[in-house]
Amino acid sequence: MKAEADGDDDAGAEILVSTEHLAPFPGLGRETRIKSQCTWNVAPRGGAGKRGLMRSDLDYVVPSTVEEAVALQAGSSGAVYLLGGTDLLPQMRAGRKDPGRLIDLKRIPLLREVRETEGGGLSIGAAAVMADVEIHPVVLARYPLLAECVKTVGAWPLRQRATLAGNVCNASPAADTAVALLALDATLNLVSAQGRRSIPVSAFFRGPGQTALRPGELMTDVILPAASAGFTGSYLRLSRRKGMDLATVGVLVGKRNGKLTLAARWRIALAAVAPTPLRVPDAEQVLEAKGSIAVWEAAELAVAACRPITDLRGSAEYRRDMVGVLVRRGVVGLG
Amino acid sequence: MKKISLEVNGVQENQEVEVGTTLLRFLRDTLDLTGTKEGCNEGECGSCVVLLDGRPVNSCLVLAVEADGAKVTTIEGLSPDGVLHPIQKAFLAHTSIQCGFCTPGMVVTAAALLKECPDPSEDEIRKALAGNLCRCTGYRQIVDAIRDAAAAMRTKEAVREKVSA
Amino acid sequence: MSAARVVGQDVPRVDGLEKVTGAAKYTADLKFPRLLHVAVVRSPHPHARVRDVRTGKAARLLGVRAVASGRDFPLHTGIYLKDQTVFATDRVRFVGDPVAAVAAETPEAAAEAALQVEVDYEPLPPIFDVEEGMAEGAPLVHPDLGRYEVVSWIQPKAGTNVCNHLKIRKGDYEKALKGSWRVFENVFKVPQVQHVPLEPHVSVARVDLAGKVEVHTSAQSPFTVRHLLSVCFGLPHGDVRVHVPYVGGGFGGKAGINLEPIAVALAMRCRGRWVRLMVDRHEEFYATVVRQGLTATLVTGVDRSGKVQAQKMHYLWNCGAYGGYGVNIVRAAGYTCGGAYEFPNVWGDSIGVYTNRPVGSAYRGFGMQEIHWALEQQMDEVALELGMDPVEFRLLNCLGAGKATVTGQVLDEQSGRVDLCIRKVAGEIGLEAAREKRPYHGKGIACAVKAPAMPNDAASSVVLKFAEDATLEILISGIDYGQGLMTVAAQFAAEALDIPVETIRVKGCPDTDLSPYDWQTVASRQTWATGNAVLRAASEIRRKLTETSAEVLGVPVAELTLRSGHVVHEATGRSIPLTRLVMGYQFPDGHAIGGPVVAASSYLPEGLLFLDPETSQSAKPVAKWTFGAQAVEISVDPETGQVTVEKVAACYDVGRVVNPGLIRGQTYGGIVQGIGTGTMEELVVDTKTGRALNASLMDYKIPSTEDVPAVMTVDFIETPQKDGPMGARGIGEHTMIPTPAAIANALYDACGIRIHELPITAEKVWRALREREKAREEAAREAGAAIAGAGVGV
Repeated sequence: MKAEADGDDDAGAEILVSTEHLAPFPGLGRETRIKSQCTWNVAPRGGAGKRGLMRSDLDYVVPSTVEEAVALQAGSSGAVYLLGGTDLLPQMRAGRKDPGRLIDLKRIPLLREVRETEGGGLSIGAAAVMADVEIHPVVLARYPLLAECVKTVGAWPLRQRATLAGNVCNASPAADTAVALLALDATLNLVSAQGRRSIPVSAFFRGPGQTALRPGELMTDVILPAASAGFTGSYLRLSRRKGMDLATVGVLVGKRNGKLTLAARWRIALAAVAPTPLRVPDAEQVLEAKGSIAVWEAAELAVAACRPITDLRGSAEYRRDMVGVLVRRGVVGLG
Repeated sequence: MKKISLEVNGVQENQEVEVGTTLLRFLRDTLDLTGTKEGCNEGECGSCVVLLDGRPVNSCLVLAVEADGAKVTTIEGLSPDGVLHPIQKAFLAHTSIQCGFCTPGMVVTAAALLKECPDPSEDEIRKALAGNLCRCTGYRQIVDAIRDAAAAMRTKEAVREKVSA
Repeated sequence: MSAARVVGQDVPRVDGLEKVTGAAKYTADLKFPRLLHVAVVRSPHPHARVRDVRTGKAARLLGVRAVASGRDFPLHTGIYLKDQTVFATDRVRFVGDPVAAVAAETPEAAAEAALQVEVDYEPLPPIFDVEEGMAEGAPLVHPDLGRYEVVSWIQPKAGTNVCNHLKIRKGDYEKALKGSWRVFENVFKVPQVQHVPLEPHVSVARVDLAGKVEVHTSAQSPFTVRHLLSVCFGLPHGDVRVHVPYVGGGFGGKAGINLEPIAVALAMRCRGRWVRLMVDRHEEFYATVVRQGLTATLVTGVDRSGKVQAQKMHYLWNCGAYGGYGVNIVRAAGYTCGGAYEFPNVWGDSIGVYTNRPVGSAYRGFGMQEIHWALEQQMDEVALELGMDPVEFRLLNCLGAGKATVTGQVLDEQSGRVDLCIRKVAGEIGLEAAREKRPYHGKGIACAVKAPAMPNDAASSVVLKFAEDATLEILISGIDYGQGLMTVAAQFAAEALDIPVETIRVKGCPDTDLSPYDWQTVASRQTWATGNAVLRAASEIRRKLTETSAEVLGVPVAELTLRSGHVVHEATGRSIPLTRLVMGYQFPDGHAIGGPVVAASSYLPEGLLFLDPETSQSAKPVAKWTFGAQAVEISVDPETGQVTVEKVAACYDVGRVVNPGLIRGQTYGGIVQGIGTGTMEELVVDTKTGRALNASLMDYKIPSTEDVPAVMTVDFIETPQKDGPMGARGIGEHTMIPTPAAIANALYDACGIRIHELPITAEKVWRALREREKAREEAAREAGAAIAGAGVGV
């Protein structure tokens, strides 16, 4: 298995005076697994520099309203919002994030809500935990694809803390919930001291760990539009072991029948095969134009759209081929 | 340091903690509730699962300050006064324990599962426990014990309902 | 002895209540006053000369209480080959090699100080593969190999990277090969994998003002820890005290010593203070040990009847940076090189090679899973190529009574029946030759054999004593880290003395100052060795109780029996309860006889003989063999390459089932651990930097609940072991040995591809299927061209 690492910065040196020891806390950061960059024991610039430990002057505040949260953030440098913490805490321990202050959003009642919007959509508050989302009656009835994806994230106890918003903001290329949100044309509501804005999830991901969030901006909720209700299908996923593992490849295929069969709408979205989760509109269109008979064509378009890398979980070549396989299976499964 | 006040296994605790202290370390180091284990400190092994307001959580991924005002139940809280929880009894009866390091997390996760889902299928049990790693047992006897405990708890529940009716 | 009442029963674990309530204390659960925390400075280089280590800056930091580095601790240690110091002195040999360590009042201060230790490294060319290590002129990982102290039966080669080489020469291999009808040659590989016990390693040490060393540690072998600490610090054994609380899994990774010397070295620098070294999961992957890698080249020559006549086995072991423990795996793999088969003519070489990889050491199976990965696939291929049924082929060639192993040991009737195990699992899985084949659905079988790999004089001892209420206390120093030793010891004592298990307390967390000696908890030897010692001690207890009773009752000792907590004289019906005997019997007139009833006993395997240094022939090189077999049923996803193990059948000849629940648990656990090694586990080391790339549970996957086969059947044959306690023999390790090879054989059965290098990942299967497809197309094109060409000719 080929796994890339960073360049050998020691090559050629005769004698190295080094304080970059492996220990006390050797670090191959979580990004390593995605970008295959080697962060050694020393954390990125500005990090705590000590793997496994939290800084002792870390501050923690609990706002009770969104406005208060935004004000707290604006008033301090190095503050970050805390939702489930299931990604943030390991990142802090690995020395890759080193905030001075945690702003816990979980006690803002509004953010915990999952409620139907006036327009007939569904608003999922940033602090609503995945374990609740995956069994929410409206999600199951109208957006079952989201439940499918949420259920594959981590373990059941992890999903008691992890949130949809957190998963999205973490912007892992392998984010399982992101493919559902992409497929369902979700909108993200953001707020900062500068005001509120909404952006489509399709405009949110910029690269591994990179998003359109502006400094200090807070995601209040994720909106699933009424127009996206009724898609069914599957989220097919390959991983090294069967339970609780990051996706090597994830493929969502969704479909909604119109009044006439030909009017069916299709959705195809991919995880872990590009710098960001992505939708494949070309593949959707060909299915919409020709029906599921165009399954091979759709699969080829999806393969063409992905840009996988080789890492510990699989080679680019394998991932590309699997995108085709899983798209075909998803489409065939929907008839 | 922050002041926190929470109920652990039915006992009110008022303590000062550093913000960076996890609930896991707080339970183990401050309260000496060492039944909850640290296996990976990154939410991958499930050895540290406790109930936080009734929900099973990886206590290595929760800061103690986040648990302010909450009710926490650890493995030690499942058998108050030495009366074993039906899952604990079933673990003994099915030889579901080997080295025992994963056992507290397994039992606590299973207790949460049976509360939410009193009659789980084998598949549901496996899915709920997929984040609780065990290197010794091969899981077979653990899954069997949970199914048995579920049946025992349902019977007990049925009897209780009959009596009260 | 009358029919067993306790042995063979599903007695619940005696440590179960403590473990299921969270009461059981593991090393990290212990509290120590004013505990100091340790951070270790580890090498970032796979191979480098250490020019200088400057610790001054670190030592001056606030909260730092001790700093230690190589120059302070020059003595070598190692269980068989003394090739390691506490800290690297002149060179580092793998990424993670300890160079220095700091003890401080807080983990933060320790970490900060460790970063301030300055080390001058001069990088040296590293070796990662065994082939490189064996090459002429290869850089030497241990240039001083010739000067290391070593036990007589390990043979390192000075001036090379070979830390041990065992040769098996039996019969006339060359001649037999020439006379063979057909010959098969294959190469198989096994990567380094990690144990991943759920409890990471942790050691706590204190050196008191009088110089006595006290250690609490998560280890499998308290007395070996004491011994090796004494050796590496030059201390009398009596001044080193080791406690082992409950241990959260070991699988060989906690055999020998690991973190203990570092904790002790620091404790020596701050006398009177407790010092704790607790690695987190990430450091666990660097700081501890792994299964050795293997490259196995096999040559098999068969005659027309399908009997193997000539067998060559060339095993190259990737021992990593140190071979102190691993050299004995090389040896064990040598004298077991033929697996469960009788090979009349053998040329075997088992060679351990130092490399700049993580340190290889014991891992459940101790070399056996690795060689069976090769052997059992080879046997399968030979059978299929000959057109024979793999089950029949195995039955034709397997060992049994009257047949000779590769060392020339002729097995007797008590040695166990691999043939019965083969038949049993073949039946369970439905391996009959005429079975209906489904595409991408396969069945496969593999055998297993293992002997305890240990010095010939490896011994166990126990103490049995009573409390006032006749509670029997059993002191053992074998570690029950899950396998059930404490329960088994109680069962043997209950059986022998006819007392209820509930009245027995097994003291299973030893303290070397107070507990009886035990060599190590490894080699699947505890039920057998400690079990024997318990039975012997129980006879001694019985003798004392009956002698006192005979005097009291005025009857001959021979007429007395023990029944339900009483000494009974059957003829008269008179009896004395044990409660009136265990502290001495007092007559009505006040005079007393007997006294507290205590017995100590031991067990040492008898009659073991060294191997011949040139040919390794020996009539009795090991204490016992345990044979078994597993068969599996799998399905393969032809498009993704994913293998699903649907059913596994296991059968072992264990001599005697002591506790059905425990032994089933051992077997299920072994199967699933075998599936881990078989399908997903590998510690990936970057061959440029020497760094492990998957040093976390997020990246290093072990099986979870969802990877468990839907069906696992477990059966046992009970051919009594002559010198086993009530006939029992070891089983702990054997349960994971055959699984990967059985899966590989089932994969071939399913779709005609062979994976030669573990693990069998989906991507490898996918790649092999694609290559086969390409080859087929190629062949079809050529055939087509040939036909077309022929057509022109006509």
